[in-house]
Amino acid sequence: MASRDYLGEFEHIIVLALMRLEERAYGVTVRQEIELRTHREVSIGAVYATLDRLETKGYVKSYRGDPTPERGGRSKRFFRVTAKGVTAVNRTHQALQSMTEGLGLIEDYS
Amino acid sequence: MTSQPLSVQPPRLAFWLVNLFTIPDDAEAIMGDLLEEYSCVASKSGVDHARRWYWRQALKTIAHLIYSAYRIAPWSTASAVVGGFLLPGFVIRFVGFPERAIFAVLEKYQVPDKHFNTYVFFATTGIDIGLVIVYLWVGCVIALVAKGREMAAAITLCLIFAGMDGVALFAFVASGHSLLRSLLPWMFADSFAILIGAAIVRSSRSARRIGSDHGLGKPAH
Repeated sequence: MASRDYLGEFEHIIVLALMRLEERAYGVTVRQEIELRTHREVSIGAVYATLDRLETKGYVKSYRGDPTPERGGRSKRFFRVTAKGVTAVNRTHQALQSMTEGLGLIEDYS
Repeated sequence: MTSQPLSVQPPRLAFWLVNLFTIPDDAEAIMGDLLEEYSCVASKSGVDHARRWYWRQALKTIAHLIYSAYRIAPWSTASAVVGGFLLPGFVIRFVGFPERAIFAVLEKYQVPDKHFNTYVFFATTGIDIGLVIVYLWVGCVIALVAKGREMAAAITLCLIFAGMDGVALFAFVASGHSLLRSLLPWMFADSFAILIGAAIVRSSRSARRIGSDHGLGKPAH
Protein backbone atom coordinates (compact mmCIF):
# COMPACT_ATOMS: atom_id res chain seq x y z
CA MET A 1 0.00 0.00 0.00
CA ALA A 2 1.40 3.39 -1.00
CA SER A 3 0.10 5.28 2.03
CA ARG A 4 -1.75 4.50 5.25
CA ASP A 5 -3.00 8.07 5.74
CA TYR A 6 -6.59 7.07 6.49
CA LEU A 7 -8.52 8.80 9.23
CA GLY A 8 -10.18 7.01 12.13
CA GLU A 9 -13.95 7.39 12.53
CA PHE A 10 -13.83 10.22 15.06
CA GLU A 11 -10.87 11.88 13.33
CA HIS A 12 -12.90 11.86 10.11
CA ILE A 13 -15.88 13.48 11.86
CA ILE A 14 -13.64 16.15 13.45
CA VAL A 15 -11.94 17.08 10.17
CA LEU A 16 -15.32 17.34 8.44
CA ALA A 17 -16.55 19.60 11.26
CA LEU A 18 -13.49 21.84 10.83
CA MET A 19 -14.14 22.05 7.08
CA ARG A 20 -17.77 23.01 7.70
CA LEU A 21 -16.95 25.63 10.32
CA GLU A 22 -13.99 27.13 8.41
CA GLU A 23 -12.56 30.09 10.36
CA ARG A 24 -15.10 29.67 13.22
CA ALA A 25 -13.66 26.28 14.25
CA TYR A 26 -12.62 26.06 17.90
CA GLY A 27 -13.44 23.63 20.73
CA VAL A 28 -16.99 24.80 21.49
CA THR A 29 -18.19 25.13 17.89
CA VAL A 30 -16.58 21.83 16.84
CA ARG A 31 -18.22 19.99 19.75
CA GLN A 32 -21.61 21.58 19.05
CA GLU A 33 -21.40 20.91 15.31
CA ILE A 34 -20.72 17.21 15.95
CA GLU A 35 -23.57 16.96 18.47
CA LEU A 36 -25.95 18.76 16.11
CA ARG A 37 -25.20 16.56 13.10
CA THR A 38 -24.47 13.15 14.66
CA HIS A 39 -26.81 13.39 17.71
CA ARG A 40 -24.11 11.96 19.93
CA GLU A 41 -22.85 13.65 23.08
CA VAL A 42 -19.16 14.44 22.79
CA SER A 43 -16.87 15.67 25.54
CA ILE A 44 -14.53 18.59 25.02
CA GLY A 45 -11.69 16.31 26.17
CA ALA A 46 -12.41 13.86 23.33
CA VAL A 47 -12.41 16.74 20.83
CA TYR A 48 -9.04 18.10 22.03
CA ALA A 49 -7.43 14.65 22.32
CA THR A 50 -8.33 14.00 18.67
CA LEU A 51 -7.37 17.50 17.51
CA ASP A 52 -3.96 17.18 19.20
CA ARG A 53 -3.42 13.84 17.46
CA LEU A 54 -4.45 15.34 14.10
CA GLU A 55 -2.10 18.28 14.66
CA THR A 56 0.79 15.90 15.43
CA LYS A 57 0.07 14.10 12.14
CA GLY A 58 0.04 17.45 10.32
CA TYR A 59 -3.63 17.26 9.26
CA VAL A 60 -4.70 20.37 11.20
CA LYS A 61 -3.03 23.56 12.44
CA SER A 62 -4.01 25.65 15.43
CA TYR A 63 -3.60 29.26 16.45
CA ARG A 64 -4.74 31.30 19.43
CA GLY A 65 -7.47 33.94 19.31
CA ASP A 66 -8.07 36.83 21.66
CA PRO A 67 -9.23 36.30 25.28
CA THR A 68 -12.95 36.94 25.85
CA PRO A 69 -14.88 37.77 29.06
CA GLU A 70 -17.32 34.80 28.86
CA ARG A 71 -14.27 32.52 28.91
CA GLY A 72 -12.89 34.10 32.08
CA GLY A 73 -10.24 35.94 30.07
CA ARG A 74 -8.96 32.79 28.37
CA SER A 75 -8.17 32.75 24.68
CA LYS A 76 -9.74 30.45 22.08
CA ARG A 77 -7.68 27.93 20.15
CA PHE A 78 -8.80 27.94 16.53
CA PHE A 79 -8.14 25.05 14.16
CA ARG A 80 -7.96 24.73 10.40
CA VAL A 81 -7.43 21.77 8.08
CA THR A 82 -4.11 21.63 6.19
CA ALA A 83 -3.66 20.47 2.58
CA LYS A 84 -2.38 17.14 3.96
CA GLY A 85 -5.57 16.88 6.04
CA VAL A 86 -7.78 17.51 3.01
CA THR A 87 -5.91 14.77 1.11
CA ALA A 88 -6.40 12.37 4.02
CA VAL A 89 -10.12 13.10 4.33
CA ASN A 90 -10.58 12.63 0.56
CA ARG A 91 -8.69 9.34 0.63
CA THR A 92 -10.74 8.09 3.58
CA HIS A 93 -13.97 9.20 1.95
CA GLN A 94 -13.08 7.46 -1.33
CA ALA A 95 -12.18 4.26 0.53
CA LEU A 96 -15.52 4.28 2.37
CA GLN A 97 -17.41 5.05 -0.83
CA SER A 98 -15.78 2.21 -2.74
CA MET A 99 -16.45 -0.19 0.16
CA THR A 100 -20.14 0.74 0.34
CA GLU A 101 -20.70 0.89 -3.41
CA GLY A 102 -23.44 -1.46 -4.57
CA LEU A 103 -24.47 -2.49 -1.04
CA GLY A 104 -27.64 -0.37 -1.13
CA LEU A 105 -27.09 0.50 2.54
CA ILE A 106 -29.50 3.41 2.68
CA GLU A 107 -32.38 1.55 0.97
CA ASP A 108 -31.92 -1.79 2.81
CA TYR A 109 -31.06 -0.70 6.36
CA SER A 110 -32.76 2.64 6.91
CA MET B 1 -21.37 32.51 20.40
CA THR B 2 -22.65 35.21 22.70
CA SER B 3 -20.20 37.61 24.29
CA GLN B 4 -21.85 38.11 27.67
CA PRO B 5 -19.53 38.42 30.65
CA LEU B 6 -19.38 35.38 32.94
CA SER B 7 -21.98 35.78 35.70
CA VAL B 8 -22.23 32.23 37.15
CA GLN B 9 -19.36 30.06 38.28
CA PRO B 10 -19.13 26.35 37.46
CA PRO B 11 -18.73 23.74 40.25
CA ARG B 12 -15.38 24.53 41.87
CA LEU B 13 -14.34 20.93 42.43
CA ALA B 14 -15.09 19.92 38.83
CA PHE B 15 -13.28 23.03 37.54
CA TRP B 16 -10.23 22.24 39.70
CA LEU B 17 -10.19 18.58 38.63
CA VAL B 18 -10.32 19.38 34.91
CA ASN B 19 -7.51 21.92 35.38
CA LEU B 20 -5.46 19.30 37.22
CA PHE B 21 -5.78 16.63 34.55
CA THR B 22 -5.45 18.88 31.49
CA ILE B 23 -2.20 18.89 29.52
CA PRO B 24 -0.62 22.35 30.10
CA ASP B 25 -0.70 23.21 26.35
CA ASP B 26 -4.47 22.55 26.20
CA ALA B 27 -5.43 23.91 29.63
CA GLU B 28 -6.31 27.46 28.63
CA ALA B 29 -8.41 26.43 25.62
CA ILE B 30 -10.24 23.55 27.38
CA MET B 31 -11.01 25.54 30.54
CA GLY B 32 -12.14 28.51 28.44
CA ASP B 33 -14.35 26.36 26.21
CA LEU B 34 -16.01 24.70 29.20
CA LEU B 35 -16.61 28.07 30.88
CA GLU B 36 -18.05 29.58 27.71
CA GLU B 37 -20.47 26.69 27.16
CA TYR B 38 -21.33 26.55 30.86
CA SER B 39 -22.46 30.19 30.90
CA CYS B 40 -24.42 29.55 27.69
CA VAL B 41 -26.18 26.44 29.12
CA ALA B 42 -26.86 28.28 32.42
CA SER B 43 -28.56 31.20 30.65
CA LYS B 44 -30.66 28.84 28.49
CA SER B 45 -31.59 26.02 30.90
CA GLY B 46 -30.78 27.27 34.40
CA VAL B 47 -27.84 26.89 36.77
CA ASP B 48 -28.77 23.42 38.10
CA HIS B 49 -28.90 21.95 34.60
CA ALA B 50 -25.65 23.73 33.72
CA ARG B 51 -23.90 22.37 36.80
CA ARG B 52 -24.94 18.79 35.91
CA TRP B 53 -23.79 19.40 32.34
CA TYR B 54 -20.43 20.71 33.60
CA TRP B 55 -19.87 17.71 35.88
CA ARG B 56 -20.73 15.31 33.03
CA GLN B 57 -18.33 17.10 30.67
CA ALA B 58 -15.63 17.28 33.36
CA LEU B 59 -15.72 13.54 34.14
CA LYS B 60 -15.78 12.53 30.46
CA THR B 61 -12.98 14.98 29.71
CA ILE B 62 -10.83 13.63 32.56
CA ALA B 63 -11.37 10.04 31.34
CA HIS B 64 -10.31 11.08 27.82
CA LEU B 65 -7.27 12.97 29.10
CA ILE B 66 -6.09 9.92 31.08
CA TYR B 67 -6.62 7.70 28.04
CA SER B 68 -4.82 10.13 25.71
CA ALA B 69 -1.88 10.40 28.16
CA TYR B 70 -1.30 6.66 27.69
CA ARG B 71 -1.89 6.91 23.96
CA ILE B 72 0.51 9.84 23.40
CA ALA B 73 3.31 8.73 25.73
CA PRO B 74 2.65 5.12 26.80
CA TRP B 75 6.21 4.25 27.82
CA SER B 76 7.05 7.33 29.88
CA THR B 77 3.66 7.24 31.66
CA ALA B 78 3.88 3.49 32.34
CA SER B 79 7.52 3.85 33.49
CA ALA B 80 6.48 6.52 35.99
CA VAL B 81 3.76 4.18 37.31
CA VAL B 82 6.13 1.18 37.62
CA GLY B 83 8.79 3.37 39.26
CA GLY B 84 6.20 4.77 41.66
CA PHE B 85 5.05 1.23 42.48
CA LEU B 86 8.58 0.09 43.41
CA LEU B 87 9.69 3.29 45.17
CA PRO B 88 7.81 2.90 48.51
CA GLY B 89 9.17 -0.63 48.99
CA PHE B 90 12.71 0.64 48.34
CA VAL B 91 12.38 3.53 50.81
CA ILE B 92 10.76 1.39 53.52
CA ARG B 93 13.07 -1.63 53.15
CA PHE B 94 16.46 -0.17 52.20
CA VAL B 95 16.37 3.42 53.48
CA GLY B 96 14.51 2.33 56.61
CA PHE B 97 12.01 5.17 56.68
CA PRO B 98 9.78 5.52 58.65
CA GLU B 99 9.98 2.46 60.94
CA ARG B 100 13.74 2.07 61.50
CA ALA B 101 14.28 5.83 61.55
CA ILE B 102 11.56 6.43 64.17
CA PHE B 103 12.77 3.60 66.43
CA ALA B 104 16.37 4.80 66.12
CA VAL B 105 15.36 8.30 67.28
CA LEU B 106 13.18 6.92 70.09
CA GLU B 107 16.01 4.68 71.35
CA LYS B 108 18.59 7.43 71.06
CA TYR B 109 16.62 9.73 73.35
CA GLN B 110 15.53 6.83 75.62
CA VAL B 111 11.88 7.67 75.05
CA PRO B 112 10.61 4.12 75.94
CA ASP B 113 12.03 4.50 79.47
CA LYS B 114 11.16 8.14 80.08
CA HIS B 115 7.91 8.78 78.19
CA PHE B 116 6.15 5.51 77.49
CA ASN B 117 2.94 7.08 76.09
CA THR B 118 4.97 9.16 73.64
CA TYR B 119 6.84 6.01 72.64
CA VAL B 120 3.55 4.16 71.95
CA PHE B 121 2.24 7.10 69.91
CA PHE B 122 5.33 7.28 67.69
CA ALA B 123 5.59 3.49 67.39
CA THR B 124 2.00 3.26 66.07
CA THR B 125 0.48 6.49 64.70
CA GLY B 126 3.93 7.99 64.09
CA ILE B 127 4.82 5.14 61.71
CA ASP B 128 1.46 5.52 59.93
CA ILE B 129 2.09 9.25 59.47
CA GLY B 130 5.61 8.47 58.24
CA LEU B 131 4.18 6.06 55.65
CA VAL B 132 1.75 8.72 54.41
CA ILE B 133 4.73 11.10 54.02
CA VAL B 134 6.56 8.43 51.98
CA TYR B 135 3.57 8.02 49.63
CA LEU B 136 3.13 11.79 49.39
CA TRP B 137 6.78 12.00 48.29
CA VAL B 138 6.22 9.15 45.80
CA GLY B 139 3.31 11.13 44.30
CA CYS B 140 5.61 14.17 43.91
CA VAL B 141 8.37 12.07 42.31
CA ILE B 142 6.13 10.39 39.72
CA ALA B 143 4.56 13.77 38.88
CA LEU B 144 8.05 15.20 38.28
CA VAL B 145 8.94 12.24 36.03
CA ALA B 146 5.64 12.15 34.08
CA LYS B 147 5.69 15.81 33.09
CA GLY B 148 2.42 16.87 31.43
CA ARG B 149 0.82 13.53 32.37
CA GLU B 150 1.27 13.84 36.14
CA MET B 151 -2.28 13.04 37.16
CA ALA B 152 -2.77 10.17 34.69
CA ALA B 153 0.25 8.39 36.18
CA ALA B 154 -0.77 9.28 39.75
CA ILE B 155 -4.36 8.09 39.42
CA THR B 156 -3.20 4.79 37.89
CA LEU B 157 -0.82 4.21 40.80
CA CYS B 158 -3.49 5.30 43.28
CA LEU B 159 -5.96 2.78 41.83
CA ILE B 160 -3.34 -0.01 41.94
CA PHE B 161 -2.52 0.62 45.61
CA ALA B 162 -6.19 1.14 46.55
CA GLY B 163 -7.05 -2.11 44.75
CA MET B 164 -4.31 -3.96 46.65
CA ASP B 165 -5.52 -2.44 49.92
CA GLY B 166 -9.09 -3.46 49.08
CA VAL B 167 -8.06 -7.06 48.34
CA ALA B 168 -6.00 -7.20 51.56
CA LEU B 169 -8.94 -5.83 53.54
CA PHE B 170 -11.33 -8.35 51.99
CA ALA B 171 -8.94 -11.26 52.72
CA PHE B 172 -8.48 -10.01 56.30
CA VAL B 173 -12.24 -9.87 56.97
CA ALA B 174 -12.95 -13.11 55.04
CA SER B 175 -10.46 -15.00 57.21
CA GLY B 176 -12.57 -14.25 60.27
CA HIS B 177 -10.77 -11.23 61.72
CA SER B 178 -12.87 -8.39 63.04
CA LEU B 179 -12.53 -5.13 61.18
CA LEU B 180 -10.92 -2.31 63.13
CA ARG B 181 -12.69 0.78 61.82
CA SER B 182 -9.95 3.03 63.15
CA LEU B 183 -7.51 1.35 60.71
CA LEU B 184 -9.64 2.02 57.61
CA PRO B 185 -8.59 5.66 57.01
CA TRP B 186 -4.90 4.66 57.26
CA MET B 187 -5.36 1.80 54.78
CA PHE B 188 -6.38 4.08 51.92
CA ALA B 189 -4.41 7.13 53.08
CA ASP B 190 -1.31 6.05 51.12
CA SER B 191 -3.23 5.94 47.82
CA PHE B 192 -4.78 9.32 48.57
CA ALA B 193 -1.36 10.74 49.52
CA ILE B 194 0.00 9.83 46.05
CA LEU B 195 -2.76 11.89 44.44
CA ILE B 196 -2.13 14.83 46.79
CA GLY B 197 1.62 14.74 46.06
CA ALA B 198 1.04 14.70 42.30
CA ALA B 199 -1.59 17.44 42.59
CA ILE B 200 0.88 19.67 44.50
CA VAL B 201 3.50 19.31 41.75
CA ARG B 202 0.92 19.78 38.98
CA SER B 203 -0.58 22.88 40.63
CA SER B 204 2.82 24.48 41.18
CA ARG B 205 3.72 23.82 37.52
CA SER B 206 0.45 25.43 36.39
CA ALA B 207 1.05 28.44 38.63
CA ARG B 208 4.60 28.86 37.26
CA ARG B 209 3.31 28.52 33.70
CA ILE B 210 0.57 31.13 34.24
CA GLY B 211 3.16 33.42 35.82
CA SER B 212 5.53 33.08 32.85
CA ASP B 213 2.64 33.56 30.36
CA HIS B 214 1.71 36.82 32.08
CA GLY B 215 5.32 37.92 32.30
CA LEU B 216 6.49 37.06 28.80
CA GLY B 217 3.31 37.07 26.72
CA LYS B 218 1.47 33.97 25.51
CA PRO B 219 3.16 31.71 23.00
CA ALA B 220 1.27 31.26 19.73
CA HIS B 221 0.62 27.74 18.48
